[in-house]
Amino acid sequence: MSSKHRIAASLTSACLIACTSFGASAQAIKVGIVGPFSGPFAHYGTLFKNGAEAYIAAQGGKLAGKDVELIYRDTGGPNPGQTKTLVQELIVKDKVDYLGGFVFTPNAFAVAPLIQQSQTPTVIFNAATSSITDKSEFFVRTSYTLWQVTVPLAQWAAKNNIKKVVTAVTDYGPGIDAETAWKSEFTKQGGTVVESIRMPISTTDFSPFVQRIKASGAQAVYTFLPGGPPNLGFVKAYNENGLAKAGIQFLGTAETDEFDLQKFGDAALGLTTAFHYSAWHDSTANRKFIEALKKRDPNAIANYASVGAWDGMFVIHKMIEATGGQRDGLKAIAAARTLAWESPRGPVRIDPKTRHIVQNVYLRKVEKADGQLVNKELQSFGPQIDYGLDK
Amino acid sequence: MSAATQAARMAPPWRLPLIVLALGLAAWLLLPEQLGLLTRIAVTALFVLSLDLVVGIAGLATLGQAALFGVGAYAAGIFALRLNPDPLMGLAVGTGAGAMLALASGAFLLRYHGFTFLMLTVAVAQIVASLAQKARDWTGGDDGLTGFSMGPLLGRFSFDLEGQTAALYALAVLALGLYIARRVVDSPFGLAVRGIHENRARMAALGTPVIPRLLAMYTLAGALAGTAGALSAQTNAIVGLDSLSFALSAEALVMLVLGGAGRLHGALIGAVVFTLLHHTAASINPYHWLFIIGVALMGVVLMPPQKAWDWLRTRLGAKA
Amino acid sequence: MQLLANVLIDGLAYGMVLFIIAVGLSVTLGLMRFVNLAHGAFAMIGGYAAALLTREAQWSFWVAVPAALALTAAIGALLEALVLRHLYRRSELEQVLFTIGLAFFLIALTNALAGPQVQLIVLPPLLAQPVDLGFRTLPAQRLLVIGAGLLVAAAAAWTVTRTRFGVWLRAAVDHPDTAATLGIPIRTVQCASFAAGAGLAGLGGVLGAELMPLEPYYALKYLVLVLVVVAVGGMGSLPGSLLAAVVLGTVETASKYLASEWGNLFFFLAMAVLLAWRPNGLLKR
Repeated sequence: MSSKHRIAASLTSACLIACTSFGASAQAIKVGIVGPFSGPFAHYGTLFKNGAEAYIAAQGGKLAGKDVELIYRDTGGPNPGQTKTLVQELIVKDKVDYLGGFVFTPNAFAVAPLIQQSQTPTVIFNAATSSITDKSEFFVRTSYTLWQVTVPLAQWAAKNNIKKVVTAVTDYGPGIDAETAWKSEFTKQGGTVVESIRMPISTTDFSPFVQRIKASGAQAVYTFLPGGPPNLGFVKAYNENGLAKAGIQFLGTAETDEFDLQKFGDAALGLTTAFHYSAWHDSTANRKFIEALKKRDPNAIANYASVGAWDGMFVIHKMIEATGGQRDGLKAIAAARTLAWESPRGPVRIDPKTRHIVQNVYLRKVEKADGQLVNKELQSFGPQIDYGLDK
Repeated sequence: MSAATQAARMAPPWRLPLIVLALGLAAWLLLPEQLGLLTRIAVTALFVLSLDLVVGIAGLATLGQAALFGVGAYAAGIFALRLNPDPLMGLAVGTGAGAMLALASGAFLLRYHGFTFLMLTVAVAQIVASLAQKARDWTGGDDGLTGFSMGPLLGRFSFDLEGQTAALYALAVLALGLYIARRVVDSPFGLAVRGIHENRARMAALGTPVIPRLLAMYTLAGALAGTAGALSAQTNAIVGLDSLSFALSAEALVMLVLGGAGRLHGALIGAVVFTLLHHTAASINPYHWLFIIGVALMGVVLMPPQKAWDWLRTRLGAKA
Repeated sequence: MQLLANVLIDGLAYGMVLFIIAVGLSVTLGLMRFVNLAHGAFAMIGGYAAALLTREAQWSFWVAVPAALALTAAIGALLEALVLRHLYRRSELEQVLFTIGLAFFLIALTNALAGPQVQLIVLPPLLAQPVDLGFRTLPAQRLLVIGAGLLVAAAAAWTVTRTRFGVWLRAAVDHPDTAATLGIPIRTVQCASFAAGAGLAGLGGVLGAELMPLEPYYALKYLVLVLVVVAVGGMGSLPGSLLAAVVLGTVETASKYLASEWGNLFFFLAMAVLLAWRPNGLLKR
């Protein structure tokens, strides 16, 4: 009885596996997009999908004259074991030519040996820990790193009479990068970090941390949190506990992300951040990007994740062009290293040494325009490299 | 019950492992592009098997088995990173780590029963997870433990990109673990533990040292869970905090109940079916795979597979 | 001194949210011996209903919340009557499996219907403003939470000990057959208690939305915390749940103030110690 059961299960499973291996057109370039499509960070998956597909549509449906097939794989949350299995399958079974995506650092780390061995160029659309690009020469990054956006902010703060700052970051890779970057640059500029608060990644109630910030005696709080619920929770706690009134300025990076921005309401007005992309950036490239997004889905949001995917597909586009549609990882990466273009965020280029994107970082404040909240760019700090790797 | 029937009831302990090996090898040969998935299934199956020893055989519902898995994974990973990348030595280290944690925590936990025991296992697991997250210098914290690559298995077979070595390695360890589990469960010790599951008071009245027996079974289960963890660390070359998570313990329990607790092969069935279901559903539609799993789980409870088979048989029998 | 006050206030607020959500689970677990791991989903449904009513339908908060409660209770009653009651006699593991499947299903449904973003409940201006207590400013909403928790505790205690329904409930749990013989409508009692538990969970979801953001995974994400409160407080003991929730909420809050790099270590350490000391619940011997 039970062996019958088992045999049936195994046969069914074999059929299921066989049935999912649909063949695609032999000519199409295959790009595997790896990211969270379910779970609390599923919005990243949607943002990637919209950005990537909008880019291809904007090019007329083909990249460098070739059909492109996007294969999406769901990693859930930070799940390195599962990510590795998925990517292994993408490389070995689906025979993808390129990989894109990646929100969480451990997931990116997990696939480094795979992409190195198979020479698969992999574009990181989002993950922000500096050391990722060191793990394999086939990583190219079109997102940002914490060092990149924090160093100019620290310099600005020091120049603007802010002497005492308290840092409050989420206790994980990018958060610790943010804290280290701030401490290093701010103290170099003569400021003092009065306290360094680390918030557990699972925190939902931020008021204890906000109270600690209040009690620290600092003039400003520098913060970093992952996008989504943690972001929202912290900014709300900042507002509801009257920190702005107490004279503690908010200095952030990704916290006023367009995805959740409207939810803060007027309480968000005046929040200062340093970041590489604002949907309100005034340029033709940005207008084209937003147009393409809205064409695909009128509800699509233009933010750092969708622009990361858009620019990521641009890099893949150029790599396809450079290799004539053939699978040649080394040639593709060599071509990627030379890229420089006008992205929706501003002028960008790929740093040939680190394979990380060099881009303008802007100082922004949240203001109201056209009846909605926007990140208004006040000044540009100019092109910034990844200081985390340039030590 | 006559001796002959008794003997017939207990299948030879090597039968199930051999069947598993045969099926695994068939999959290895027929599906050379899915070896990563095959490895993952084997590791999961071993983990759920370890859970069956605790839940199905000893009758102790636990939601903290992931702690034993994760401890084995981190131990093997740290060993490979800092001491020696040999896979078999790492496997032994992982197994030992799982056993030691099970022994230490079991000595405290087994004094409680039922819901209290269940929640205490959750507490122990979460405490271990918090400590692992804090000890960033050793475990890599939220970013995971990386940077180690395994040496060749038995000195000859290196871990390749397609996962051929990894899959065979995992299958072999699974088969071995299954054999050991089968031997133990069918031994007088195993019978005593099953007796404790059925009626603790009566076993105590018969003079069986209840807690030591349970502790021994819990430790064995911890060892197997540690083995599974070590396998996971070695075949993935990364260990993440998710290997200690509550979600992993819960998923394993779901897989076990799905396949049927207490018979060992149920653990394997549950692991295979759930993993394949998740994998297939997620690749069809990453957003909505939870629908499929949710409905499947509810369906299995409302219409247990046993009943479905019976119903099917009666229908076919009636027609004939 | 300020620190102590902060810890106590924030801990109390957090604990109250946990209590309100946990009350329903304590009832179903302790009084009906039914393991309902989909309980978190009721909190989620309540919260979502309130969010959608206040935001999309522009209802007033004070109308939307009771409506959300009623809706959740109704859904609970429906589920209980149609599906869950068939599982009362099944093994615990089967109940676990089914209710987890139900939770998965509800998560997927919520994601499909409302999307993966966090849902915000529009608070009336009265609640949205900060209240200055002199030594501390805190959102008015927190005071509401504390007040509501105390009210729920009082109401539940009163219902169980002083009303006929409460007598029926206790009888139905202790001796269902005898109770049935005496003419106590067992089915109604079970359905009503389940619905009440679900409704209360919904209330917890609404009140706790500031602390525990409403998103599709809510149903399983906070389940552990709620289970912990029920375990430490003792199954079926409402005063126990209240005490456990407040104590554990305060420990968690204190650890955030004083030792946040250790994550939730102290919460679970406290839980383990309390449970080991009083395995049957804080107020039971």
